[in-house]
Amino acid sequence: MLLKVENIKKSFGERTILQSVSFDLKAHETLSILGKSGCGKSTLLKVIAGLEAADSGNVLLNDQSIIDLLPNLRNVVYLFQEPLLFPHLNVADNIAFGLKVRKTPNADIKKSVAQTLQNLELEAHAKKMPHQISGGQKQRVAFGRALILNPPLLLLDEPFSSLDVETRAAMQALYKRIAAEYNITALFVTHDLKEALTMGDEIAFMENGILDVYDSKAAFIADSRTGVKGEREFWDGL
Amino acid sequence: MSSKRKIITAVLLGILCIVPPIILLALTFFESWRFPDVLPATYSTDSWQALFRGSNNIGKSLLTSFLVAALVGILAVVMGFFTSMIVSYHKQRKLLLFLTYLPFALAPVIFAVCIKFYFLKLELTGTFIGVVLAQLIIAYPYATIAFTGFWNKRIQEYQLQAITLGASPGYTFLHLLLPMAKTIIIVVLFQCFLISWFEYGLTLIIGVGKINTLPMKVFQYLSEANMYQASLAASLLILPPILLLWVNKKFVYIKTT
Repeated sequence: MLLKVENIKKSFGERTILQSVSFDLKAHETLSILGKSGCGKSTLLKVIAGLEAADSGNVLLNDQSIIDLLPNLRNVVYLFQEPLLFPHLNVADNIAFGLKVRKTPNADIKKSVAQTLQNLELEAHAKKMPHQISGGQKQRVAFGRALILNPPLLLLDEPFSSLDVETRAAMQALYKRIAAEYNITALFVTHDLKEALTMGDEIAFMENGILDVYDSKAAFIADSRTGVKGEREFWDGL
Repeated sequence: MSSKRKIITAVLLGILCIVPPIILLALTFFESWRFPDVLPATYSTDSWQALFRGSNNIGKSLLTSFLVAALVGILAVVMGFFTSMIVSYHKQRKLLLFLTYLPFALAPVIFAVCIKFYFLKLELTGTFIGVVLAQLIIAYPYATIAFTGFWNKRIQEYQLQAITLGASPGYTFLHLLLPMAKTIIIVVLFQCFLISWFEYGLTLIIGVGKINTLPMKVFQYLSEANMYQASLAASLLILPPILLLWVNKKFVYIKTT
């Protein structure tokens, strides 16, 4: 297993957000986590990324505990709902950010950035500033900025939620292609049922801080809490 | 508003802004201008020559003012930037912000009288450092308040994003926060510089007449009814604000729009 999450608990004051969350994730797989707003899914990702401290529990990456590591040393990239491109850097420099942090030689940075720009069809926008590109392009740059580091684990917190339907579909297709190409291992959080089914190799459902990972898509569909049955009944009734 | 009225309004506003500094500057070249003469009897560059010779002490005051204002501006910006970050992300944000407004509750002169006891005890009255510290009591909270708007939720998310990309807090500060805050840092630096540049009450009471900044000179010449020297000191006093306004408009404002 690439990722092992063991009995993670987290509370904010009296409010319990995560109730002993445990799950495993194989390498090169994407686990979709479906859940309503406020169910604790973003907090779970932040705990794994180190942006929030867990009250108890452990997180293992490649059998090494990372729970006590600083977030910048975990080599786990968290992508927010918003692309959060650094406004003073152009597209190419945004993508190169993580490599510059790691003091990668300039020639290697240049080569990797060019390759990433090409993969994400962003070559024409390399010198543009973030305010000069569209929402979908910004999200692609944010992906590129993470992918260029080739992190063992990618944490995606509703990355397409602010995009329109068409751009969202295009980005989902792009993610599937990139995930296969780069052998990405990722946790993909969403509140969109179809997105969860489309994006995940495995699917989980989160409610009141409890995470259930399903053995199969059929088991996910059969669970009335996920809303698949209701959706089916709606379309059948038309 | 019609275009004709707009032009008239712009011209009137221009006259209102430009004429007083021109009269002030012109006064520095007059030697005697008495009622009912329409124009002065004699003109001279003596005041300016005295300034460059250093015989009227205005040059020394100009240098003192510049050093005090530059130091106050830089210190206020550096301390205010970090303090505002702590205040903005603190659980007691509202209380701490309220405390930063307290120095503005009193007029600077009254405030100076209140704190003079401590400056006397610390032997800081009449010293350059004492005046800088006294002026910082106004400029530092001002900078802190001005910077609190910068530390919003989005900036916090940018910081977290940089950290998950592997950046250390130091790298994030130098390569992300400072470049993003560049414009507001310049604006606050200008403003703190000007707060110090025009400060009179605190300088008078804490400086006890030993630290002669330009506003002190202006008031001194005015009390001596020396209109020509007062206008020379005042002309020098308004020079940096005009220069900073121009720099602000040309470089800062244009870059942000």
